[in-house]
Amino acid sequence: MGTNAKGKLKVAGPSMYEVLQGIDFERRELIGKPKGKGLFDLVLDEHGKERCYACTLCERSCPVDCIEIDYCPEHPELPFDVEAERAAAAAAQPEIDMARFDRVAAVLREGSGLIESLHTTQEAYGWLPRRALEEIAAELKLPFSRIYGVATFYSQFRLEPVGKHVISVCMGTACHVAGAPLVAEAFSQELEVAVGETTPDALFTLQTVNCVGACALAPAVRIGEDETLGRMTPTAARKLVRKLKREDA
Amino acid sequence: MAASTKSPARPAARIERALRRAFHSDNTTGGEDTVKIRVCAGTTCNASGRAALRKAIDDELVRRGLHDKVKVVETGCHGLCQEGPIVVVHPRGIFYPRLKPRDIATIIETSVVGADVVERLLYRDPVTGTPIAGEKEIPFYAGQQRVVRAINGLIDPTNIDDYIARGGYRPLAKVLSAGDPEGVINEVEKSGLRGRGGAGFPTGKKWRFCRANPGERKYVICNGDEGDPGAFMDRAVLEDNPHSVIEGMIIAAFAIGSGVAPVEGYLYVRHEYPLAVERLRHALAQARERGLLGENILDSGFHFDIRINQGAGAFVCGESTALTASIEGRRGMPRGKHIRTVAHGLFGQPTNLNNVESYATVPWIIEHGADALAAMGTATSKGTKIFALTGKVRNTGLVEVPMGATLRHVIFDIGGGMLPGHEFKAVQLGGPSGGCLPAEYLDTEIDFESLTSLGSMMGSGGMVVVDDSTCMVDFAKFFLTFTAEESCGKCVPCRVGTQRMLEILERITSGEGTLDDLDLLERLSDDVMEGSLCQLGGSAPNPVLTTLRYFRDEYTAHVVDKRCPAKVCRPLIRYTVNRHNCTGCYACTIACPTHAITGERKQVQKINQKLCIKCDTCRQVCNFDAIDVETGVLASLAGGRN
Repeated sequence: MGTNAKGKLKVAGPSMYEVLQGIDFERRELIGKPKGKGLFDLVLDEHGKERCYACTLCERSCPVDCIEIDYCPEHPELPFDVEAERAAAAAAQPEIDMARFDRVAAVLREGSGLIESLHTTQEAYGWLPRRALEEIAAELKLPFSRIYGVATFYSQFRLEPVGKHVISVCMGTACHVAGAPLVAEAFSQELEVAVGETTPDALFTLQTVNCVGACALAPAVRIGEDETLGRMTPTAARKLVRKLKREDA
Repeated sequence: MAASTKSPARPAARIERALRRAFHSDNTTGGEDTVKIRVCAGTTCNASGRAALRKAIDDELVRRGLHDKVKVVETGCHGLCQEGPIVVVHPRGIFYPRLKPRDIATIIETSVVGADVVERLLYRDPVTGTPIAGEKEIPFYAGQQRVVRAINGLIDPTNIDDYIARGGYRPLAKVLSAGDPEGVINEVEKSGLRGRGGAGFPTGKKWRFCRANPGERKYVICNGDEGDPGAFMDRAVLEDNPHSVIEGMIIAAFAIGSGVAPVEGYLYVRHEYPLAVERLRHALAQARERGLLGENILDSGFHFDIRINQGAGAFVCGESTALTASIEGRRGMPRGKHIRTVAHGLFGQPTNLNNVESYATVPWIIEHGADALAAMGTATSKGTKIFALTGKVRNTGLVEVPMGATLRHVIFDIGGGMLPGHEFKAVQLGGPSGGCLPAEYLDTEIDFESLTSLGSMMGSGGMVVVDDSTCMVDFAKFFLTFTAEESCGKCVPCRVGTQRMLEILERITSGEGTLDDLDLLERLSDDVMEGSLCQLGGSAPNPVLTTLRYFRDEYTAHVVDKRCPAKVCRPLIRYTVNRHNCTGCYACTIACPTHAITGERKQVQKINQKLCIKCDTCRQVCNFDAIDVETGVLASLAGGRN
């Protein structure tokens, strides 16, 4: 990313707003998909030059600090301190219970590979806390970005804590034909969250999965890891949520 | 390694002794001629209440003091999943579907203590309604020919002795005794077995390449990453008969590596199949304990072990190069296959990767001979294939038929035909990579070539039947949503192309499409197929292309008439109350989540189109068929929150 950014920053400084105005953000959703897909590179304009304006947005928001912009030394008055921002973000990460990490360490020692160790981490914590991922990176002697990249690639891994009840609506073909989208929508309305989100009271997480293999019972819904409910309807979905809410009240 | 450290004198006798030692005959659950109760413990039956049923059976047996005399066996999936939980009472083999715990006392009284049948609980023929007692007489089972699933549902999958008692691990002993890896490959090649994962590459040929390629070590991988939505046959094989897959892998390892290089095995299973993983772990431990896996298998001097790797929810990992990347702990992105995995696979070594079903077929071939398998099927596709029959048919579940069976046989004879009041519209084969075939191709004989020539494909064996209530444009959109989401993003035509195609389909289903869009879809499809490294992109447009080919009239109805013939696409439909049928019972009024339905009690209700979200709840709760769904220009102008 480096050298090309050098001269550009001078242009970018005061007139950043105008510069951003001029950029065609229309197709941004392509790279903004929730799961990281593809390999990233700078886009070239019609003259073959990189379109990067060194606005530093990417550098400051990269979760694994793998983007470095080479600032020119004669222009020291940056409006922010990237290093300090990163240190603050690291300090803000929730502490984790290291006792639970022992299981992960055991899996790593067996040499079962990164994906198995991530599964074990998720079993231990319910999600993948950043600090645990950093431990894994240190243990495997791999860059953190590599671990994070794997964690974002696979849809089973969660980088946010989940609610007490994880509701997974099956979106397989048979379930789709039998009306799974309506069931997912009913859950979404009843819980007042979008698919993939957790309720503010941390009781429910709603997600969709690609086929749990219970196609004969379509549409199927999985509660937690073990319980599978078949032949769901939107009304049954609403009732289920109310029942679970009552039990927790 | 295989060049045995022991004296080669009479290895066959030594292996035979080792197999006898591995078998603990007192531990089996007995044959079908003894008094026993089989309870299906497949995933679907578990979801239908198997645990409560099992407890009721145990309690009842204890109450009658029969718990020592009657064996209760939890078996793998019986296949007729929608009728779960299933119980079969032996020795007569009486089949009881959809049982409730309260039925157990009657069944034990009549069928276990006595030898009669409880007629009211028997399975009824979905067409004629006559009760059928025997499992084998049920049309769903009678129309099948089971090779891979022959003993699934009969044995306890957690009991290795059940498997050995039915001839399991005998083929392995036979192979090890003969000590001729080339012979094994010849036999598999002669049987005509082709990869069951979808592409249909000849298995024997793959093994031969892998054996011939030099390497420090070799890998044998079983691909259990059954990502196709609507397919669950691999899950069933892994859950119901894990040892058949393990045995197939050991035989493959022997054929590929013996005398050439050390071999290691990996079982790659989806994380969404927790029961399969649990049973495989158990089976591997048992096999190791009995000397059937690990060091010096069956005292033959051959070493081979298998470890389990779980997937993490990426469809693309079913692709061989992506799968190896995933085992290596990287993002599951495929690479170009100018050098195939048999030469340069896992960790850069020659790797043989086959599907679950392929491995499970291998012991059968060794046991019965290549000619027995070659005798089944068509000229180019041999043996049997398991299909996961789902969708709008009467009997859903797992079906194993010989290659060359017609779609009509599977859907109408075994599947029992369409649900009452509905007409067959299409059958979708091969998951998101396959295509939809209309009624005129129902008499097609199923094999790899015939399906490909029609624009569909065998795939891993998902068979989803849809009726007139499914919109084919929406169906194509569903598959494309899936592939667009699952595209790994490496190849731009696949990542961006599927996204653009999806946008076009979204335009069409919301009534904003044009006829040019249909041509554009076809052009884009070609580009996506041409420009993708792996088969995810290479086959992603298939559902769109086949629906365009066979159901173009539905596309034009959406584009020109702004009408969704199946009344599915929300922007093109509206819900109204039928004045003649509505009784004002308030069922819909109460159920409506947005309070869009109003009216006096015992009067005709009214739907506020601005509030209606078209969630279909009212139609489902209505007992008087008083909610109509309209489609056409008027409906598309009605607005509402789509």
